[in-house]
Amino acid sequence: MIRYIAGRLLSILLTFFVMSLIIFLMMHAVPGGPFDGNDMPVSDAVKAKLNASLGLDKPLYVQYFKYMWGVLHFDFGVPFQSPGETVLELLARAWPPSLILGGLGVLIGAPLGILLGMAAALRRNTWVDYLASAVATLGLTIPVFVTSMMLILIFAVWLGWLPASGWGKPNSWILPIIAYATIPLATYARYTRSAMLDVLNKPFVTVLRAKGLPERKIIFQHVLRNAALPMVTVFLPMFIGTATGSIFVEAMFRIPGLGAYFVSSIELRDYSLEMALILMITMMFCVSYLLSDIAYALLNPRIRVGGGER
Amino acid sequence: MTPALELRGLNKSFHLKTKGGFFPSYTELRAVRDVNLVLPTNSIVGLVGESGSGKSTTGMLAMRLLEPTSGQILVDGTDITMLDHIALKSFRRKMQVVFQDSYSALDPMMTLQQIVAEPLHIHHIGTLSEQKAAALDMLERVGLDRRYGGRYSHELSGGQRQRVAIARALILKPTVLVADEPTSALDVSVKAQIINLLLDLQKERGLSILFISHDLSVVRALTDEVAVMCDGRIVERAATETIFTTPRHPYTRALLDAIPVLNPHLRRTRMFLSREQINAATPRLRAIDLAAKCDPSAIPQLVAINTNHHVEAIVT
Amino acid sequence: MRLVDIENLTVDFPQHEGTVQAVRGVSWHLAAGESLGIVGESGSGKSVTCMALLRLLREPPAKITADRLELVGENMLTADRHKLASIRGRVAAMVFQDPMTAFDPVFTIGHQIIETIQAHRSVSKSQAKAEASSLLAKVEIKNPAAMLESYPHQLSGGMLQRAMIAMALSCRPQILVADEPTTALDVTIQAQILQLIKGLQSELGMGLVMITHDLGVIAETVDRVVVMYGGRVMEEGPVQSIFDAPAHPYTQALLRSIPGQTPGRHRLIEISGGSPSPVHPPAGCPFHPRCDRADAKCKETPPFMAIAESRHAACWRLP
Repeated sequence: MIRYIAGRLLSILLTFFVMSLIIFLMMHAVPGGPFDGNDMPVSDAVKAKLNASLGLDKPLYVQYFKYMWGVLHFDFGVPFQSPGETVLELLARAWPPSLILGGLGVLIGAPLGILLGMAAALRRNTWVDYLASAVATLGLTIPVFVTSMMLILIFAVWLGWLPASGWGKPNSWILPIIAYATIPLATYARYTRSAMLDVLNKPFVTVLRAKGLPERKIIFQHVLRNAALPMVTVFLPMFIGTATGSIFVEAMFRIPGLGAYFVSSIELRDYSLEMALILMITMMFCVSYLLSDIAYALLNPRIRVGGGER
Repeated sequence: MTPALELRGLNKSFHLKTKGGFFPSYTELRAVRDVNLVLPTNSIVGLVGESGSGKSTTGMLAMRLLEPTSGQILVDGTDITMLDHIALKSFRRKMQVVFQDSYSALDPMMTLQQIVAEPLHIHHIGTLSEQKAAALDMLERVGLDRRYGGRYSHELSGGQRQRVAIARALILKPTVLVADEPTSALDVSVKAQIINLLLDLQKERGLSILFISHDLSVVRALTDEVAVMCDGRIVERAATETIFTTPRHPYTRALLDAIPVLNPHLRRTRMFLSREQINAATPRLRAIDLAAKCDPSAIPQLVAINTNHHVEAIVT
Repeated sequence: MRLVDIENLTVDFPQHEGTVQAVRGVSWHLAAGESLGIVGESGSGKSVTCMALLRLLREPPAKITADRLELVGENMLTADRHKLASIRGRVAAMVFQDPMTAFDPVFTIGHQIIETIQAHRSVSKSQAKAEASSLLAKVEIKNPAAMLESYPHQLSGGMLQRAMIAMALSCRPQILVADEPTTALDVTIQAQILQLIKGLQSELGMGLVMITHDLGVIAETVDRVVVMYGGRVMEEGPVQSIFDAPAHPYTQALLRSIPGQTPGRHRLIEISGGSPSPVHPPAGCPFHPRCDRADAKCKETPPFMAIAESRHAACWRLP
């Protein structure tokens, strides 16, 4: 197990460098630079000077190694669009709102989705199942900015209970979190339902019933535990996907989160920030896949205990 | 006369990963060990054994659906282990296979007529209308009405699907048919129909069939000779009735003894031998008593105790 | 008292294409200590009958009706969830066909036997464990302690089926229902498991219901036989007399068609045609389209009538 984890960590490190190289090359393959925007014309002489001050005049490989050397010392450089702070400072400022939005959204949406999926599986082909399916389908098909708009319309405009935008007081968090929670809720509901049904149709569930085990114990101890096996492999990565926030929800509710920077860093050729954002997400996904694989191995005796005669 | 199929010193090893990581380790599983088997032209030979005995692997090797680790496979006297892919393809017309699970072996998107005609199509035999006519004739021969030609495999019962699988296997007029548990998934009342069909087709077409099965009762009704496999080896080989009336190897005896007796008046308590006890009971024979010349050895070997009766024994 | 009493049981599964009539008016009973074999081909309704008896079918879609469905005097049709849970495993235990899929893969064998014991009896965990260990020894497991700690994937089919039997016996049931307990096993293991079940049945004085498609298994293990076809009982009687003188044309044809009874390569006596459609079963006797003795009368449902001492059959052509 320890060897396995060490191997995986090594491969994550490799992924990190390969990824950084690919992003770096792709960024620079796109024509134009940070000072080529039309809205802020600068003379070629000034541009050259600016480029030199940022090290952008050097050959690409020098730039790359310089950047990666900095990264190894936790120096991700300075964002061009906000030169008054470092990339790390920008992340520390803009990430918390996204993290709170995404994190709370998942923490609220996921358990509700799991409960909904369980109810649907246990009462399959009844109104509970149909209702859960309808909710899940709506949650997945209605774009989140439409949901946001409807929430604002109902609770902020018509009822006036909650603020329509901003990120100041905790009551301004409620609507965006609800809007955001619909995504994990729908996804987990669908996933849980199919995972549960899959297990409920296995012969060993009939055996458990034939042994006279109470239904409650069959569901909560045996079926859930087995259904959790395929679920852990998607749970964490999905969590990471959402913890980086949503561009649309943040835009709708005017939340000063990370979402906007994903777009602006690409538009403005803000190399340092773009690199930092993409590498950060890559790493988080790698680690979450590793953690979920470990969780899977711990839950599954076939891997934990190993082979046997068959 | 050249036998339809002959296996000479056939071996197959699989490598099972026992430890992963950067330095994985493997153990060798010898699924088939030094198998020698002759399928005479115009006969049915049974290959019996329990799960894991290597009987199905042997069937796959005989068709070269698996590559042997070593040994020769002779079809009509030609060693097919030496053939390249192009030569093998044209050779495959002579050897066909029918599996137990005909449900997954038949393409659900094709009509029965298309399924049966497909081998003709692959080997570019005849025009499209000739292929179609031949397929319908073949379906009729295996007992399915011609109007079944337009149907799909999911509309059929297990027995009917097995008829289609047999029709597809025989449309190229092969000389060798490997049938791997073709009746095991069928109901009792349908099983007899398929066995009779195989018997009739064998006689009518001069086919040679290697019949792989764990069902000894079926093997007794269908085959001329039987080879008993255990742990990848053939431990006994003889004419079918010899095997059933005078088995010599303890494993063959254990296998025969385990068959349920269809007479409630003859109930008895059985003694069961462990694999160790069976191995310990390997017959010890004197070289002088054997039908063919054989050197003494401490390692069990397949020896001829009669012209047509081979048994694994320790020769002293 | 009868351990099992079934009268006029029907089980339907409504589907889009029509209703699957799995069981169509089945009646039989099981006396204390008796062993009964239910033999039939796939789709004959033999398994569904026993699943319905223990109310293990999902309802809906299954629809169960019966004039009587009793297990040791308990009405199974009106029993609620809690009643059913207390009967299953304690009064009647079941052994299933495929031991490889019958255990929960994420728990040890020990855990699964212990939870069965604790579901029905208030014993401490350590006592339950000790009992589980002695049960495994009883089914001839050589190292019970190791088996308790094993996960299902570490064991062979034969070992798992022994563990399954041990688990079924853990609450000392009055009835053991074995649904094709040896079909997934090799022939030598099958013989061992059958001998084990037979031995335990007479030792513990349980009633045994052996469901199988294999007449050989029937001949070796049970006292009385119920022959099913197309959701109905064709014939019923003591095992010796059924094998000596099968009365129903279906039973006769089935016995004749079994291969390997005579020496030498030979064509078998086959039953023409295929199994009846469960959605549109033939009118009257379900076997009449394949029966060489059928006439116009066979399109009416024959009564299940006494034909000899403790023998019954449903056929117009008798005697």
